[in-house]
Amino acid sequence: MSEENQVEEQPKPLILEKLEANHADALLAQDESRGTVVVTVRKEQSYAILEYLKTDPELAYTFLVDVTAVDNSQMESELMQFDYARFMVVYQLYSYQGQCRARVKVPVHENDLNIPSVTTLWQGANWLERETYDMFGINFEGHPDLRRILMPDDFEGHPLRKDYPLRGRGERERFNFDKQNM
Amino acid sequence: MGLDFVGQGAAETDGNIITTTIDKVVNWGRKNSLWPMPFGTACCAIEMMATLASKFDLSRFGSEAIRFSPRQSDLLIVSGRISIKMMPVLKRIYDQMPDPKWVISMGACASCGGVFDTYTLIQGVDQFIPVDVYIPGCPPRPEDLIDAVLQVQQKIASGAAPKGVEAVYE
Repeated sequence: MSEENQVEEQPKPLILEKLEANHADALLAQDESRGTVVVTVRKEQSYAILEYLKTDPELAYTFLVDVTAVDNSQMESELMQFDYARFMVVYQLYSYQGQCRARVKVPVHENDLNIPSVTTLWQGANWLERETYDMFGINFEGHPDLRRILMPDDFEGHPLRKDYPLRGRGERERFNFDKQNM
Repeated sequence: MGLDFVGQGAAETDGNIITTTIDKVVNWGRKNSLWPMPFGTACCAIEMMATLASKFDLSRFGSEAIRFSPRQSDLLIVSGRISIKMMPVLKRIYDQMPDPKWVISMGACASCGGVFDTYTLIQGVDQFIPVDVYIPGCPPRPEDLIDAVLQVQQKIASGAAPKGVEAVYE
């Protein structure tokens, strides 16, 4: 093989260095996806880590791009990795200062769907967490107004869960127009 | 102007008098002054806007007076996909329109759900409101919408009851 094919050793991203130095006990896994650092952290420390990433003057991940979740119930390989936690709550962050992105993933078990809300860190998390609650049923503790945001108020279930039937449970055919909030 | 005369002017009046029926005159007026209520929820609404704009110019057929109040309109154009959360709104708007009223279901999504065979989308608005004319297409061309309006006009001119009225007497 020629020298051109040799991969140059990349310097370790600052975020990983700092997290390993300060929050090593919370880190479950670290990965890289198309130039974005991906860290998986324990739920108990998720709020502390997100707060650290936002407030640390060197990292300054001040912009919360998105909050969402993944239902891994049919992904055996993913389930095995994190103690069979069904859901993975995902935070996408951006640092204007460092002009780089980071992804923080938090495994959440089905029997304990509570996770601390980050609305106190980012006001913008309000609707994002409501959507995640609506679609997956994740309960964000400390959220000021955790109601459905996309589905009708009287909707039952959380449609982006993998066990929710794609064509629904008959709600698109069954309508009681008197009962609806018209 | 599309008005069919039932009687011709008698010879002694030199063609200055016509005879017809009240129904025909009223229908003639209705057909040439349809006031659409646009219910645009998706890309079909863009085609509907193009139909109303100068290039396709729906006003050539007397339907340019778009009313955003259902109480002033007699033609409901459902253009776009209707979710289960939107269906009560559509139903209410349909109920608010004064009789007689006609409904065009524009495009695949409004007519049958289109490609969105999912839990959240109504698989055809005709399950809940009566539809007079369906337009296929994803989205349909403006010519298709004009054709649908002309079909509604034909239906009015023929004296046939709107689908909603038929439903009441069934």
